[in-house]
Amino acid sequence: MIDPIQLFVQFFNQLPPELQEAVRFLYSEPFIKAAIFPGALFSTLVGLFAVWFERKLFARVSLRIGPLHVGRVAGLLQLVADAVKFLSKERIIPEGVNKPLFVLMPCLALVLSLLLYAFLPFGAGWVIFPSDIGLLLFFLVAALTPVPIVLAGYASRSKYPFIGMSRMALQLFAYEIPLFLALLGVVLAAGSLNLERIVEAQLAVPFAVTQVLGFIVFMVTMLAETERLPFDIPTAEGEIVFGWQTEYSGVYFLMIQLAMFEKVLAFCFLAAIIYLGGWIGPPIPGFPETISAPFWVILKALLVFTFVALLRGVYPRLTIEKVLDLGWRYLIPLGLVNLILVASFSLAGPIIRP
Amino acid sequence: MAAGSEAALWTLFLYAVLTVVAPPIFYIVSLLLAPAPRKKLRVKLMPFESGQAPIPTRAAPFPIEYFPYIIIYVAYAVIAVIAFIVVLDMISASQNILRGLIILIVLTFASIYASSLLPSLKQRLERGRTG
Repeated sequence: MIDPIQLFVQFFNQLPPELQEAVRFLYSEPFIKAAIFPGALFSTLVGLFAVWFERKLFARVSLRIGPLHVGRVAGLLQLVADAVKFLSKERIIPEGVNKPLFVLMPCLALVLSLLLYAFLPFGAGWVIFPSDIGLLLFFLVAALTPVPIVLAGYASRSKYPFIGMSRMALQLFAYEIPLFLALLGVVLAAGSLNLERIVEAQLAVPFAVTQVLGFIVFMVTMLAETERLPFDIPTAEGEIVFGWQTEYSGVYFLMIQLAMFEKVLAFCFLAAIIYLGGWIGPPIPGFPETISAPFWVILKALLVFTFVALLRGVYPRLTIEKVLDLGWRYLIPLGLVNLILVASFSLAGPIIRP
Repeated sequence: MAAGSEAALWTLFLYAVLTVVAPPIFYIVSLLLAPAPRKKLRVKLMPFESGQAPIPTRAAPFPIEYFPYIIIYVAYAVIAVIAFIVVLDMISASQNILRGLIILIVLTFASIYASSLLPSLKQRLERGRTG
């Protein structure tokens, strides 16, 4: 009778020391977190899944079937086929564009969108970079994501991208502040900027219930920040062709699309964490907490994403003056009113429950 | 892994490296799969113009219709920063909540008043320019 573990240990000890170091590094906690979960592999796979999920859901809303043939089950591999298609296209750089910016900006957009996942906790300890100002760091990176988009529209030096870019800039200017105010409501209620503390503060009631106004403001600004319908006026398909992405094709277009979906999903995960109670949920029998915690976060985030994707099939597009009106004139006062409500509850709290 | 520890920074560094490596990987795969650039046809390289030949000027000064909205961003950014400081102040000690609440109420009424004036902002600016 040979013990397989002992055999493996024997085999491992016979390896050259450099290789042993490499294996130890691959098995170390930092590498697994950065590369597999919740790092690179997970964020890429979840982005691909979201594209498939949205196409399928949107097709069902408009009484179609959606991807069906590639991959045995429900066209699951359609996205892989699409990616291969984009990667195998000729790389066209139109004449007159600002070439370095035109090529670099899709890359930068993808890097920034992926960086958002570094601060999202998927359970106690399941986070790439635990930080006491995690929410602020997330907002910092999220506030940087419009920069490559605006520069990509500028670098295209063509009319439709230019119109789309100026709309995008106006929209993002208008919605950054309401988003910040909505996040401040959560910070005030939890008494911390640490995302793990914020989840622990929702042990009794999730903030979506106690801060309905803030939740509404957050969801609307989230749609606008990530350019989802009804706020997709910067890329209005068929109206200004494809907005700021018009001149992009092939691998550059693939990177932009992936970046946009990663950003939407990062915001869905954030909504699940700061408003829907994160990994707080009934324990699943037979599974330890290290597995059930990410499960609950992902389930809640997918629910939020379902809502976001459903809006695409339901709502028409808002015009730019409606978008600006909603952002500047309604959402900012609503965000401040939400802050006042939270502050007065925390003032009244010790009086009501002594 | 404690917040801000060396292991956390190392993990963040590894993840940042992986994200920076992602676009070059896409590009290299595209280099392998995509056809080699053929003869550069002028029509193919034209900017998109719905079938028309594009008008030569690509960069020109143009009026921004909603420019006033960009200007008021400066004022609202200050409001957001004040709200952030007030919230941090309220978190730090519970006896600060009352004074923070007063500042927040002032800010709210200011923003409501501003939003009642915003629709006529453009006309006001134009009147100021001519008068």
